[in-house]
Amino acid sequence: MLAQQLVNGVVVGAVYSLFSLGFTLIFGMHRILNLAHGAIFMWGALIGYFCVTFVNLSLLPAFVIAVLGAGVLSVVLDLLVYRPLRKRNGDEFGTIIAGIGANLVLMSIAQQVTNAQALRFPFGIFPVVFYRIESLGLRISLQQIVIVGTVAILTIGLLAYLFKTRIGTDARAVAINEQTSTLLGVNANLVYLNTFFIAGALAGAAGVILGIAFNSVSYVMGEPIMLQAFVVIVLGGLGSVVGAILAGLLLGVIQTISVVYISSELSDAIVFGLLFIVLLLRPNGFFAGLHTEHRAA
Amino acid sequence: MGGFVATWQPLFDLICIHCILAYSQYVALRAGLFSLATAGFASVGGYAGAYLLKTLHWDPVVSGFAAILAGVAAGLFLSLPLARLRGAFQAIATIGFVQIMVSLTLYAAPFTGGALGLNGIPKVATTIPLIVVLALTIVLLTTINRTGIGRAFDAIRQDYTVAGSLGISIATYFRYAFALSGGLGALGGCLLGFNTYSVQPEVFGFPLLVSSIAAVILGGRASVAGPAVGTIFLMALPEIARPLADERLLVQGVLLIAVIIYLPQGIVDSLLQRYRSVKTRRLSTVAQSRAQEGPYGFPSA
Repeated sequence: MLAQQLVNGVVVGAVYSLFSLGFTLIFGMHRILNLAHGAIFMWGALIGYFCVTFVNLSLLPAFVIAVLGAGVLSVVLDLLVYRPLRKRNGDEFGTIIAGIGANLVLMSIAQQVTNAQALRFPFGIFPVVFYRIESLGLRISLQQIVIVGTVAILTIGLLAYLFKTRIGTDARAVAINEQTSTLLGVNANLVYLNTFFIAGALAGAAGVILGIAFNSVSYVMGEPIMLQAFVVIVLGGLGSVVGAILAGLLLGVIQTISVVYISSELSDAIVFGLLFIVLLLRPNGFFAGLHTEHRAA
Repeated sequence: MGGFVATWQPLFDLICIHCILAYSQYVALRAGLFSLATAGFASVGGYAGAYLLKTLHWDPVVSGFAAILAGVAAGLFLSLPLARLRGAFQAIATIGFVQIMVSLTLYAAPFTGGALGLNGIPKVATTIPLIVVLALTIVLLTTINRTGIGRAFDAIRQDYTVAGSLGISIATYFRYAFALSGGLGALGGCLLGFNTYSVQPEVFGFPLLVSSIAAVILGGRASVAGPAVGTIFLMALPEIARPLADERLLVQGVLLIAVIIYLPQGIVDSLLQRYRSVKTRRLSTVAQSRAQEGPYGFPSA
């Protein structure tokens, strides 16, 4: 029973990690707390849904289109909202407010498109296959394996991008000091577009995955995961990739276990209580962010 | 005339209540706090007031004061971890606080009625008491702004490093701001319950957080008139332009983005600044022409 709940928690946590990666990336790189990230996630799921139902695509191409679509949406968000704000020297406060505004706009458009209904993917979109591990009494679905696998691949891809490619190096340079890196010939605007695209794409992937796993896509689905992501990035440290992954997994496990053994209504309160305790004791989280990670190297 | 009053009175009542909630948000922003906790404070006050008035049959005024005290306590409690932190962390944690309050009020059903909320609260906050309370709030805030606390808030908001180096204890003033914001938020939530007969968990959720911050951003976060103008604008707009009513959230979102990019100080503060700069320019031209004139109004040399 406990082992089964641990597995379930890790699967949910993997999706939290995937979502929080983009969120923490934008914050670590550009000091923008992108409160519209949840809406991008929701739009990713919606695009995936429409590709499957109206265009009759199979799951894999729909997933790819949803990921790309969410990435483009995130870039548009930067171009229309955050870039004008940067040009006018908007501060951190301005980005938070603008993010709340963008979130509202994206959500109310989705509300109209979906008629405020919760949508379901057609039955059997994902093959229902279960594997049993009798010795531990575990029952693992193919879906769970694919979810964890996808998250692992995307995370490794992100780390490779950040630390092995030229544009990733540029991005980290901009994260440390935008002005200096611009003087050294780094195109900062391009870095912004890159970061927003990647973050949006990761959110879109998380959206489709969660939409299929819970078999529900609705215009409000971004809000709860946004709140989980707050806890994840505070636990992991704002701007830390590895921290986001580990904290996401931990949160998924804590939440699943508290739903099962304590109370489903209280699980939110427990998770956020954790947030306050971490803020009180270790406000910078348990992992160093992108800024400190490579300053010594 | 009677028909006019009967039609607009409920809207007027709501504007008064939302003004007070906007002031709770305003106090935080004015002090440079990135707190978005107003909806959570309103939940504390709304449930405390409703429980005392309806279940324990306390006097309305006493219940109101008890609700305010509960809000102040909640503000001080939040300030324990948050007064030492900055920016993004405060925003994240206070949004989390709003969420905790929603789930706690859902959970503590014996006291809060769970998802159904507390209903059948006597309507004690009618128009006249609301006007009185709002007026008292405005007087309180204007007075605070003229004292050292208001100046310290201004200094911290404008440049927090400078404020610190001038010997202002930032954590202490953040604590004051949290307490004040908590008290006002609880007062607003309490009045909302006393006016609309009921309190429910969702009433104090994300939409309330957004509408109170939108009012302050729109109106301006330095002068006391700002949040009031913002609230009136936001609440009256859908009533006047009916087609906009269905798109309330969309309009709020677009307004938030546009205002924070193009008019970051809000309507009232921008106008005030323009007025002041015109006045100084006029004064300085007068001074210049005086300087060019010699004694007795004759041009010098």
